[in-house]
Amino acid sequence: MTTNELQAIEVNKSVDARGTSCPGPLLAAKKAMGEINSGDVLEVLSSDEGTKKDIPKWATKKGHEYLGTVEESGFFKIYVKKG
Amino acid sequence: METNKKMCLALFTGSVDKLTAAGVILSGAAADDMNVDIYVLLQGARAFRKDIADDASKLNMSENPEMKDEFMESLKKLNVKTWLEFFSEAKSLTNVKVHICGLAGKVWGADKLEQFVDIADDIVGIGEYITAAQEADVNLFI
Repeated sequence: MTTNELQAIEVNKSVDARGTSCPGPLLAAKKAMGEINSGDVLEVLSSDEGTKKDIPKWATKKGHEYLGTVEESGFFKIYVKKG
Repeated sequence: METNKKMCLALFTGSVDKLTAAGVILSGAAADDMNVDIYVLLQGARAFRKDIADDASKLNMSENPEMKDEFMESLKKLNVKTWLEFFSEAKSLTNVKVHICGLAGKVWGADKLEQFVDIADDIVGIGEYITAAQEADVNLFI
C-alpha cells in the first residue's frame, strides 16, 4: 500500500512501543494481535530500527498480512492486518 | 500457518549478560508461539535461586566483567527488561517450561522447588533434557 493509503486506513488497534528496544515492539505487536479480530488492522509505533524488518517478517510468518510502513520523524508506523 | 516449533535450551550460565541474551531469544520464541523447554544446569541454578535471581549485584558478567556497571546502566537507559522479567513475560505468552537440574540445585544448596523463582516448574534429571533435545527443532546451549 502507498503511504497515502496507509495514512487513510482505518486502524482497529494502535500500540505505542516507542522508547522500547528489541524485543519490546515485537512483543507489543504479538500481545496486541491477541486482542483483535481476524481482518482487523494493527498499527505499531516504534523507534527501534530492527523492528522495521522484524515485524513484517514475523507477521507474514504468523499468517497475517503486512500492509506497509510509514516513516515519521524519529519513529515509524507499521501496519498489519490480522489473518 | 505452520505448527508450533519446539526449542530446547540448555542454560548453563549464571551470568547476567548471557541470561539477558537468553531472555531476548526467549522473547522471540514467545512471539513465534514456540514451545520452549529450558534446562537449568550448573551455574544457571544459582541464578534461579529466589534470593539471587532479582539481585544483579549477586550475578557476574561472563565477558568484560569490569564493565558490568556500565552494561547494567545502559540496559536501564534503553528500557530493557531484566533477565527474569524477560523469562516471566515469555512464559506468560507461550508454553515455556523451566526445569532445574537436580544436581545443579544441590551444588548451590537448593534441593527444593520452592527455593527457586516462581517460574521454575520442576526439578529433573538429565534424561529429560536428552529426550527434549532429541525432539526439539531448535537446540541451544547458553
